[in-house]
Amino acid sequence: MKECVKVKRLLSRYLDKEAGVKDAIFVEEHLKRCPFCKIELSELTRAKEFLSEKQRKALPQDYLVCRLREEIAGSRNRQESLSWLVGMGNLSRRLIPIPVTVIALSIAFLVLSSRQQVNKYSLEEHILSGNQTTAEVALGLILGTED
Amino acid sequence: MNEDSLYIEQFLVGEEEGFEMLVRKYQDRVLNIVYSLIGQDREAEDIAQEAFLKVYHNLASFKQRSQFSTWLYRIVVNVTYDFLRKRKNFINDEAMLKSIPATYDGPKDSLLIKEREALIRKVIGKVPFKYRAAVVLKDIEGLSYIEISKILRCSIGTVESRIYRARQFLKEELFKVRGELI
Repeated sequence: MKECVKVKRLLSRYLDKEAGVKDAIFVEEHLKRCPFCKIELSELTRAKEFLSEKQRKALPQDYLVCRLREEIAGSRNRQESLSWLVGMGNLSRRLIPIPVTVIALSIAFLVLSSRQQVNKYSLEEHILSGNQTTAEVALGLILGTED
Repeated sequence: MNEDSLYIEQFLVGEEEGFEMLVRKYQDRVLNIVYSLIGQDREAEDIAQEAFLKVYHNLASFKQRSQFSTWLYRIVVNVTYDFLRKRKNFINDEAMLKSIPATYDGPKDSLLIKEREALIRKVIGKVPFKYRAAVVLKDIEGLSYIEISKILRCSIGTVESRIYRARQFLKEELFKVRGELI
């Protein structure tokens, strides 16, 4: 029984012709006497044969090479476009304040002009309402400080 | 200097042809390993491509302390494992069995081959990945225990035990599927 345990441990190695000479002789001697280990070996052999019967796949010669060329060229292009951005780094850092200032000034101008627009109407409304329009009131309406 | 080393040297001096020669030489072996590990065609090609891309990007750092094939197969096994882990569904048996046409116009032998192929894929799919990787490298690729131990980064004893366990799984699954060993 102890021998069976030892042999079972060696069976895969023996089957794959990886066992040393001593181990191989030991297994073969045991197999002559032990029908259980013989059955185990035959089952393992059939499992091995079953797997090795698997069909082999084959790709056309340059199939994968072409796919890889495309993929590598694509990743290279992506890298180049990224490196262009990195190269632009210093210049863009210097140029960033210009559009930011322009945008900020534009927003300020729009806000102020829209407020003036609103206040102009307010001034017109004030005049049309028939109330007294002093210079102080008019200026206040234009600047938006007058209610 | 062996053939692979020459191709690697060629690639390292800027000739892409060196890499392409390696791809041509190993593409079918890589495909068959991946295909045996995952059991699906289209995805096997994608994984093989991803593995070769890794080789392309890391070939300059390959020190050639081991054989190129050992390094390549290790990448292949790792990429496949990552793919399966992401998918969290090692092999979808139902999808696999559905891939066999219900009516097949070809010769009867072809149908038998297809059925057998589906059965093999189904049975292999039941074997845990670490055992499957060892037995596929042995029985599909025909590598030695020492080569497998280098690829899987484990001892020869572990390889032996994994292959034995994988065959035990195969044996049991075949009994379940067919009621007897084929």
